[in-house]
Amino acid sequence: MFRNKKRQQQASKNKDPKTIGDVLDHLGKSRDFVHFQHGNTHFSCWISYFRTLIDIDYVHRDVFPFLYSDSIRNMADIKDQLPLEKLIQTKDIHEIQSKLLEGYIIIQKDERSPECLIVPSVKIQGRQIEKSEVETSIIGPKETFVESIDTNINLIRKRIPVPQLTLKEIRVGKLSRTQVGIIYIDGIASEENVNTVLQRIQSLEVASLIDATMLALMITDNNWTIFPQFTDTERPDRVSGAVYEGKIAVLVDGSPNALILPSTIVEFFAAFDDYFLPWNISSAYRLLRLFAVALSALSSSLYVALLTYHYQLLPKDLLGSLISSRSSVPFDPVMEVLILEVMIELLREAGARLPTKVGQTIGIVGGIVIGTATVQAGLSSNILLIIIAMSALAAFITPNYRMATTIRFIRFPFIISAQMFGLLGIGMCFTYFVTHLIRLTSLGRPYIEPIFPFRASDLKDAFIRLPFQLQNSRPMFLRPGDPARMNTTRTSQEKGKKSPDIDE
Amino acid sequence: MRIKILLLCLFLLLLTGCLPSNIIDDILMVEAEGYDYLGKGQIMGTATMPNYVESGNPGSQGAGLPSTAAMMRYISGVTYDGKSLVDKFQPEGQRQLKIGKIRVMLFDDKLARHGLSKQLDFRNRDPDTPRDLTLAVVEGSTREMLTAADYQTQIPVSRYIQDLIQQNSQQNYPDSDLAQILYSYYGEYMDAFMPIIQKQGDHLALVGVAAFKKDKYVMKIDGDDVFVFKMLFQPFDQGVYDYEFARGKHIALRNVHTSASFKVRNGNSSSPDIYARVKISAQVRQAFPGSISKKNADHITKLLNRHLEWEARQLVHRFQTYRVDPLGLGNTVRSFTYRFDGHSWPDRYPHARFHCRVNVNIVQTGISQ
Repeated sequence: MFRNKKRQQQASKNKDPKTIGDVLDHLGKSRDFVHFQHGNTHFSCWISYFRTLIDIDYVHRDVFPFLYSDSIRNMADIKDQLPLEKLIQTKDIHEIQSKLLEGYIIIQKDERSPECLIVPSVKIQGRQIEKSEVETSIIGPKETFVESIDTNINLIRKRIPVPQLTLKEIRVGKLSRTQVGIIYIDGIASEENVNTVLQRIQSLEVASLIDATMLALMITDNNWTIFPQFTDTERPDRVSGAVYEGKIAVLVDGSPNALILPSTIVEFFAAFDDYFLPWNISSAYRLLRLFAVALSALSSSLYVALLTYHYQLLPKDLLGSLISSRSSVPFDPVMEVLILEVMIELLREAGARLPTKVGQTIGIVGGIVIGTATVQAGLSSNILLIIIAMSALAAFITPNYRMATTIRFIRFPFIISAQMFGLLGIGMCFTYFVTHLIRLTSLGRPYIEPIFPFRASDLKDAFIRLPFQLQNSRPMFLRPGDPARMNTTRTSQEKGKKSPDIDE
Repeated sequence: MRIKILLLCLFLLLLTGCLPSNIIDDILMVEAEGYDYLGKGQIMGTATMPNYVESGNPGSQGAGLPSTAAMMRYISGVTYDGKSLVDKFQPEGQRQLKIGKIRVMLFDDKLARHGLSKQLDFRNRDPDTPRDLTLAVVEGSTREMLTAADYQTQIPVSRYIQDLIQQNSQQNYPDSDLAQILYSYYGEYMDAFMPIIQKQGDHLALVGVAAFKKDKYVMKIDGDDVFVFKMLFQPFDQGVYDYEFARGKHIALRNVHTSASFKVRNGNSSSPDIYARVKISAQVRQAFPGSISKKNADHITKLLNRHLEWEARQLVHRFQTYRVDPLGLGNTVRSFTYRFDGHSWPDRYPHARFHCRVNVNIVQTGISQ
């Protein structure tokens, strides 16, 4: 305890740079820091930059020629003649330091003069916009976010060409000073929600921020829950759809994910593809996903409960095959289930960590070799293998990866409570999760909103998706500034007089 | 608080082993019980339980017996009437004997005539009793029926019996599941009935319905009369009635729908009038060539109506002479009568006048030309 205090005191003793000389001396220790004097007959100045951060081509082509030209006589001339829109002249040491570290060029009259001119020359290096790989879709847009925030904002802004689209910028992280962008449509997004987001992000006390999902965990309402409270997505179309709805998107520089706040639990089970299919088909798929979640969470624990305690409930035609396939298994049902569940989790984890090329072999090894070998070795029964494989498959149906991990994890408490009390245990565990979900909030809004508190109007886009002409209001959940999506009287107007096809 | 919850979870985890469990491959599930009456309050009890085949290599299916095939195992022993057979036979079982999946309970006709009150009371009391338990009376020995190895089918005998009874309950035989039997056994102004099965050589057959007076089997409804009984007892379809309208000339009808409605007059008098009105929609399944067509359907229908009416009256008359009421006529009278005098009903029942009107409507005669 005391040691920790001492360590924290030491950390705060780090000396701040007092003068520009301190800054330059300190940065000069890095090998990629360039600091040199430029001089010709009329004018001389000191130029410093990090050569790994600036766009060298750009500097040589567009900045230095002007500096070396004869018409430059003093610092003011530079400011006038450089054809750049954003030159800053400042004495603020902190700004100078941070700009240097972001890839700007500093120009000084003398080596130690506090007056600096900051020239933007940031090199943007990142990957191209690629096809979606995490949230794939068959039809619809394929673009995904990349690691550069400017590109990401561009992807959103070109889908929402309205002046009300507002971008707020906050720097997060004591050391990293990561750029965080908050995007919403002024007038549609609830002001309260915007203020909550701003306040939560501004009051963060962290050293660094690497990714948007990290930010989601930092600003979450409840730190103990296993349920994700904010949707993360790599699809700009999904983000813009949410922003049009009145939600708030948060982008983090260096992260290919955007956060959508606030979210309800049903949104995690809605794929964006649902909006590209006819409403009845997509509703059927949403219900299928709901069924898959129930199957995934409950099937293995039901197996444990039924085989351990409630043999009366087993269908009589299934008894024979269940018993004969279990007769050579030496374990109790719960051990058998846990062994197979852990095995599937190992396979999934191995598949996720391995390089792509080796990953395919893991699928074959895991699925075929281990699966059949376990049964043949008598470590588990045939029927259980099918159940576990089905529930693993069903867990991956969840479109959101973070929710999918939650669904996979949630079955373990169910299995253990099924072993403890049978069906009663499953009921108790279910009750626990339901009460937990009822108490959860996302940005202060109820997490399982269309169900509790019950909002019939929000059910239009929850478990089933009604046709677009009926989706004429924004979700009540968001308390939007402008609830109506469109003029309802006009959508319900008759299109015209019907004329018979065939004159009789 | 948090520590308390953690401790609670820990205790729950540690104490799970103390809960009795019924892991399905560690119990013996009794599938059929048979009771043969030996006289003087002694019975010979028989229980069968399947031993599911342990195939040598569970991964490679296909060889050997199918997984549903089971080696039946049976235990018999003499005990007193009303003893739980599971408790009696537990010393002979290497695993726990469990009653929760029992399919059939068989009583031989001697025990049925002696009375089933102890068995029915025991089954009613036992929470482990499954919902789809089938009760039946056996003509002959239940032990022989349950232990015989000469059946033409490989499926376990318990399943054979249950399938036989359940399948026929969809057709000519009336519903006689556990709920129905217990309801009519404990209910007022009605009596229970059970199907009767018989082992005929290498197969089993339903031969009629046993009508009970309280817990004693007193009257047998023959297989031919079961259609008439069911017609008065419950609405149904898919039954087949064979009518011999002239010597050697038959017509068989499959009923599409049958419903009976009752009316009662003078319910508290010494001889109440019970009016039954039965509507049958039927299609002709088989007919003597040229006997029925669109033209003369009316004629045959009239004959059939009169015949069925007569049969129904005869059947009820026999019930009245035996003083059994499997149709629940007493209950019908009660429901039609204001301030029904239930006390004197058993004395008035034999004198009740039963009137029956049957209306057969032939919806389809089939192709006849």
